[in-house]
Amino acid sequence: MSKEIKYNNNIFGVFNNEEVLITAIKSIKNSGVKIKNVFTPYPIHEVFHELGLKTRFPYFAFVFGVLGTVLTFGFLFWTSVIDFPITIGGKPNLSMSFVIIMFVMTINIGIVLSLGAFFTIQKLFPGKNPVIVHPDITDDKYVIVIEKKNEMTKEEVAGINDLLRKNGAIETGMKKNVESI
Amino acid sequence: MYKTKIRGVLVEGNKSYKDITRDIVAPIEQGAPMWWYPAMAISLLALIYGIWAGYVTITEGIGTWGLNNSMGWGWDIINFVWWIGIGHAGTAFSIFLLILRQKWRTSINRAAEAMTVAAVLCAGIFPMIHMGRIWMAFYIMPYPTSRLLWVNFNSPLFWDVVAISTYLMASATFWYVGMIPDFATIRDKTVSKLKKTIYGILSFGWVGSARGWLRYEALAMILGGLTAPLVISVHSIVSMDFATSVMPGWHTTIFPPYFVVGAIFSGFGMVLTLMIIIRKFYNYQSYVTDGHINAIARILVFISLIMGTAYTTEIFIAWYSGNEYEFFTFFKNRITGDYMVGFYGMVICNAIIPQLFWFSKIRKNIALVFIISLFINLGMWFERYVIIVTSLSKDFLPANWSEYTPTVVEIGIYVGTLGLFSMSVLLFFKYIPMIAISEVKGILKTTSEERS
Repeated sequence: MSKEIKYNNNIFGVFNNEEVLITAIKSIKNSGVKIKNVFTPYPIHEVFHELGLKTRFPYFAFVFGVLGTVLTFGFLFWTSVIDFPITIGGKPNLSMSFVIIMFVMTINIGIVLSLGAFFTIQKLFPGKNPVIVHPDITDDKYVIVIEKKNEMTKEEVAGINDLLRKNGAIETGMKKNVESI
Repeated sequence: MYKTKIRGVLVEGNKSYKDITRDIVAPIEQGAPMWWYPAMAISLLALIYGIWAGYVTITEGIGTWGLNNSMGWGWDIINFVWWIGIGHAGTAFSIFLLILRQKWRTSINRAAEAMTVAAVLCAGIFPMIHMGRIWMAFYIMPYPTSRLLWVNFNSPLFWDVVAISTYLMASATFWYVGMIPDFATIRDKTVSKLKKTIYGILSFGWVGSARGWLRYEALAMILGGLTAPLVISVHSIVSMDFATSVMPGWHTTIFPPYFVVGAIFSGFGMVLTLMIIIRKFYNYQSYVTDGHINAIARILVFISLIMGTAYTTEIFIAWYSGNEYEFFTFFKNRITGDYMVGFYGMVICNAIIPQLFWFSKIRKNIALVFIISLFINLGMWFERYVIIVTSLSKDFLPANWSEYTPTVVEIGIYVGTLGLFSMSVLLFFKYIPMIAISEVKGILKTTSEERS
């Protein structure tokens, strides 16, 4: 049983036109079938819109930046004021010129953490062997993936295939283990 | 086909998505063209000369350079600032245009970013080797040494370290993230098993799912938004290495903006040089169109005017301030005097020759544009030479005055970095898609905005 949960099976339809893809997404949604994922060779904003996808990534990035500012200030304050205060040219230990390093390090830490967050959330890592639904998804084909649930009857599966074809898919098929992210 | 209102068609030649993939993956799939090998050989020779010069410097010391008591900085810092300036192109280009949603950036950004990373790497060599005892370079890192001291966080030299290493990290990140979908394309298209494996690893397992793209675009904007202020800050900080000193000709408030503009100017100049080479040798005229070259040339006219204004302002203030040392530096040591060649070279190459871009006939003549772009690179080198050498060689005490000529070793280090740069660029030509495939496809779209 555990194997069945681990391996998912999916029905996919291949499209060769962006406009057809978008109308297909609309009509598949209207017919009540849930779309699991869509693969495109470049970002298409209409697809995000139709699938209702949103990202909170910019808010996270803001938090990372704030974290960077606070950490850097903490470090500078600790080293220059608490740990080993040295008077240079009679200037105060807590100096306005900290701002420059804080500014740069905010960017530095913000970038590193945003990048880490992206790879983590998107589950990307070097050496990952992804399931490639169709060899042309990074070239000029668009793919809609619909999950085939275990309880689906043959007729239901055929119905989904028909639905894809009716909406302009040039090819349909089955593929295991397609990711939903 | 997507068409912007002012720039017309961005990708010419009625390309389909498949054509774009094929055109851009082709140089990676096929072997390198004939000219690539001699070019690589020359770069390697230059690099070997540089390695020899670096070896001499490290084993024998800075005494092998032409520096002396007054001239504490010479070709090392000139070339450092020059490379950092060139290294501003990628980010200035790619990120500012990304944030401003200028769609014509897509054919050029990849090459500009690659150039940035290579140039910043070259720049980084100079301050390291300038330390003399390079094995002590780690002392610049903020960690308590055996004397329990921290580094001086108020020193522009330390700001430099932080700013430049952050800039290198940021621009390399931005460049790499941009390449991930293109590596995936190569992985899926290549017939060679080895390439499939290598580009598969490099692509991080990218497949182009809708959520992936959404987050990817958000990440690109975040990286762009974070790195854009860095473009301003890095060269401002480099200029503070000079401006916080009390040397005549350096101690001026104009320096940060003047350096930033100069950096963007030299960067765009180098982008232009490189894009003309790419489009010529790889037949990318459909992607890097005459319109692209035209647009960069027009930006250069504008920046050149700012450069001219900056030069004039400096000279005016040197006179108007009534400071005799400033006056001497500008009027007796730059406009007239020993370093006239450098000064007039700078003014002519940076402020006068680029004005030829006002004429659309010249902007359309690619050979001329190429030559002017080389003049800009040369002029920006002269600018750093003028700033560093004229101010240091004749300071407040005439007894301290001294002449400066670089030695073979100093020239060697510079030639070596030129070799390193051209080698990196050649490797980039061979192994990395020179044009951002997915981004060019993105602007070719048929569903939104204007169609032609």
